[in-house]
Amino acid sequence: MSGPASSPVLELRDVTRVHGEGEAAVQALRGVSFAAYAGELVAVMGPSGSGKSTLLTLAGGLDTPTSGVVSVEGVDLAGAGAVGRARMRRTSLGYVFQDFNLIPALTAAENVALPLELDGRSGREARALAREALAEVGITELADRFPDHMSGGQQQRVAIARAVVGERRLVLADEPTGALDTETGEDVLRLLRARCDAGAAGVMVTHEARHAAWADRVVFLRDGVVVDETGADHVESLADATAQR
Amino acid sequence: MSRLLTAWRLPLRLARRDAMRHRARALLVVAMIALPVLAVTTADVLIQTATVSGPESVDRRMGASQALVSVSAETNPLQQAPDPDVGYPVFSGDTTLTAPSAEQVSSLLDGARLVELRRTVGQVVTEAGRVGAQALEVDLADPVADGLVRLTSGRLPRSDGEVVVNDALVADGFRVGDRLGFEVGSEVAGGATEPVVVGTAESTTYRDLPFVAGPLGSLGLDSDEQTQWLVDGGPVTWPSVQRLNELGALVASRAVIEDPPPASEQYAEVRAQSGTDEGLLPVLALITVMVLLEVVLLAGPAFAVGARAQQRSLALMVASGGTPAQSRRVVLAGAVVLGGTGAVVGVLLGLGLARLLQPVLQGFSQTWFGPFDVPWLHLLAVAAFGLLSAFLAAAVPAVLASRQDVVAVLAGRRGDAPASRRSPVLGAVLLAAGIGASAYGALQPSGGELAIAFGAIPAVLGMILLVPAVLSLVARGAGRLPLTLRYAVRDAHRHRTRTVPAVAAVAATVAGVVALGIGLSSDQREAEETYVSSVADGVGVVRAYEQPARWDALRGAVEREAPGVQVVVQQGLTDSDGGYTSVQRPEGAGFISAGSALGSMVLVSDGPLPPGLVGLSDADARRAEQALGDGRSVVFTGPGVRVDDGEATVVRSTFDEQTGQDQTLARVTLPATYLPLSDPYDGPSAILTPAAAAELGQEPSVVSLLVTGGLDGDQEDTVQEALKGVDPSASIYVERGFQPESDALIAQLVLLGLGGVLMLGGTLTATFLALSDARPDLATLAAVGASPRTRRGVAAAYALVVGGIGSVLGALVGSIPGVAVTWPLTSSPGFGGGGPTGPFLDVPWLMLLALVVALPVLTALVVGASARSRLPLVSRLD
Repeated sequence: MSGPASSPVLELRDVTRVHGEGEAAVQALRGVSFAAYAGELVAVMGPSGSGKSTLLTLAGGLDTPTSGVVSVEGVDLAGAGAVGRARMRRTSLGYVFQDFNLIPALTAAENVALPLELDGRSGREARALAREALAEVGITELADRFPDHMSGGQQQRVAIARAVVGERRLVLADEPTGALDTETGEDVLRLLRARCDAGAAGVMVTHEARHAAWADRVVFLRDGVVVDETGADHVESLADATAQR
Repeated sequence: MSRLLTAWRLPLRLARRDAMRHRARALLVVAMIALPVLAVTTADVLIQTATVSGPESVDRRMGASQALVSVSAETNPLQQAPDPDVGYPVFSGDTTLTAPSAEQVSSLLDGARLVELRRTVGQVVTEAGRVGAQALEVDLADPVADGLVRLTSGRLPRSDGEVVVNDALVADGFRVGDRLGFEVGSEVAGGATEPVVVGTAESTTYRDLPFVAGPLGSLGLDSDEQTQWLVDGGPVTWPSVQRLNELGALVASRAVIEDPPPASEQYAEVRAQSGTDEGLLPVLALITVMVLLEVVLLAGPAFAVGARAQQRSLALMVASGGTPAQSRRVVLAGAVVLGGTGAVVGVLLGLGLARLLQPVLQGFSQTWFGPFDVPWLHLLAVAAFGLLSAFLAAAVPAVLASRQDVVAVLAGRRGDAPASRRSPVLGAVLLAAGIGASAYGALQPSGGELAIAFGAIPAVLGMILLVPAVLSLVARGAGRLPLTLRYAVRDAHRHRTRTVPAVAAVAATVAGVVALGIGLSSDQREAEETYVSSVADGVGVVRAYEQPARWDALRGAVEREAPGVQVVVQQGLTDSDGGYTSVQRPEGAGFISAGSALGSMVLVSDGPLPPGLVGLSDADARRAEQALGDGRSVVFTGPGVRVDDGEATVVRSTFDEQTGQDQTLARVTLPATYLPLSDPYDGPSAILTPAAAAELGQEPSVVSLLVTGGLDGDQEDTVQEALKGVDPSASIYVERGFQPESDALIAQLVLLGLGGVLMLGGTLTATFLALSDARPDLATLAAVGASPRTRRGVAAAYALVVGGIGSVLGALVGSIPGVAVTWPLTSSPGFGGGGPTGPFLDVPWLMLLALVVALPVLTALVVGASARSRLPLVSRLD
């Protein structure tokens, strides 16, 4: 794992995000600063409405901050423009959602190949890379199956394969195990962990401490502010405590 | 190119799979695109098939010959089109030629053999009377005549005493062995010795018309006016045609028609005459734009709902790095897949339907169609039209889909973009432009209809852009409405992408129907207002043109067939001797038209006025009778023009053909009383006393019989038949005032029906798409205790909202061109200052009421009755 001495893959500097205007304005994030490095899996925890999902959408370039800077591999996402952010999503970062979010009209391989095809790669090349990514998550044999014909765990593996296909160095996961049983969830976390150990940076939003225990660090958010940040040791004790309960 | 293909590969795959996953919606769109394509394809193929082109008609026109040469008795050098039946030949008026002889023609065609052919329309004498028939004289046994007729039984004639007839004459009783009498005009054709029928043969041109053919002389046709020859020889080239043209011959050459010379070698003046109708192109463009708009609007909701169903996939695509352009492409690819399928299916089904309808349509035609003609280039354009309409229908949903809030959609919320603030402004500007164009067209002295018609396009487009603002207004005022209606109004407003095209489709339909309806009604109003009665209502006028007329017998026929009526014999001065009588009225006496419904411009009476004379006030009628009784003639002046009693000059003249001048036969000056006619068109110009007529040297004669006492329609028919029996030139006209044309009523009913079908189709589609889209909301309704009938209520309310708002908007916008078009349509210059001149405006309120109230309510009832009552149980994250 790379340490803080190297440059971060994802960095948020004094990020604020306000939704709405006037009396209806809601401050989802208030001056959040945070970084994730290559080889590191960071868990983000906090109660509902604390700003976890907003943080993830900002990190993924699906939204832009009201103030502050969000950069991925040194590129300021707000400054990159909509087209630049779309390119970043195709090439540098991948999303894993709680409810899998596969496109029902595409097969598993086609879902995984989606970012590559959107990036203009040839169909054959995209499918070859997609099969490699599917092999990485252990479901090559499901490549031609449609999402409707796969279990939740299988769908989430496809989603992870889609998030890591190609040369992505940042994986963003929003409650990736929320819709899965315990055993399947553990499998998914293991895959995420393995991807980070292979050199990617991961940011995972989760409610559960035992899932956070897979991370190297845990960032706690409350009311849009980072209230605590712990190292891996503390995360493990958290997990132990959870397990004992 | 490969980059383009790469860019569209994924969207097309997604669209194809999406269509397979949502077959019902896909079928709906395919049907909407396919139906107009099918209709146009069928019509186009049938029109092309029914239209016999030059090359297709060669055999039926000239048999197996190389050319058909026609010469007239007196002719001029001429210039013709390669196919003389296209356009008109241009004659040089400088040199008059006598018809070229067969030898002259033959010598210009390298000594080709010429076979004479004669054609005319005459009458075959049947047992029941006479029947019109096409006649052909040519040596049918000559191989060069092959293709002119098709022998169906018996044999071809061998001498000029033999003919063949077709099935239409067989139906009139002619059989092989019968003799056949043939007349041209009212005389038996010269030299005809009733030929014997030796077989039946059909003309290759005429299908259902009586037809008779035989060798030259068999029917006694003459060639005094025109001679035609079939050319048996080598191909007749364009230079040969031109040489014959110089002799004044018109030539239809097989070789030239099948392979016309280049434009540069054709006569420029003739080409200029046969150009496309300039007015046709804008009208076609207008119809195309309006149909395109209608199809786009009808298919729009389906694409809007499709885009909505795809919004999560599109959001995921964006999350995976897709750009807005790629999102748009996915929705547009749906249009390519479904529009392409619809276009192909429409063309194929259209071809099949045309094939099925061809014999049916042929049954209504009196001429034979050409071969089944598939105009592939046209059909390609029609299919492209279908594809384009799908593409345009998907354009707005595609743009909106690319602008959706990805985060909201991924979080399970709906990511509708806020309503544009610019659209209503642009809509108002376009609407104003449409009104301006209509006003401009209305004020033009001529040809304003086109400006008004084209002004309808921005008006309708402007209305479409204003629909969201109208929905917003209605939604704001929906607070006090019952639940189902409130829900429908607010849902329609929230989901504008699917509501706007549905409302707009209904509105565009209603606008068209209202515009045409107002135009038709106003046209009828003009006809009614400007109707001029020839005589007083209920009075009949019997006239006869055959001289000498058998007035006593005609009177007897009237009195026999309609006992109880009174018949007055009207005397007047006639032009039968070649002379005519005119009354010289003082300067400023106003306009009186040349023509009298009573039989003559100058009537003769010693007191009583002709029954049924219109346009004279009661007081003036009494003065007229008094004057005639006192021996003064009555001279009529224009409406409202009073001239003091005095004298009038009456002149009897004749036209001298040698000098080209009128020659006065008699001139008398008479004491006259001047009286104005309120209507200057059909009244006589004067009523002379018998003494005045005698002074002119004219013996008054009967000019008409005036029938009073009320003839009903049946009696009129009976009397008419009886009069024809006495004298074929005699007829009776009974004045019944303005009678509305049944065609106009039928046209309005057809418009209403068409509007109803389109409105029902548009509303039903939009409503059921909305219901499918609103499943989560309906599930919530079910969860909080709504009864199963609520779904029906919501469906009916939604249909009422779409149909109601659409029809009100459509009626308002349609009334703009509808009212405007009444100016150019119903304004007249007003001859002689008499009568109303327009414009006439008649709004068909009953039709409007049916469109704006009855049809939306009916549609809502149909929707409510046909909607499923079971509420869906689905997750909100469906």
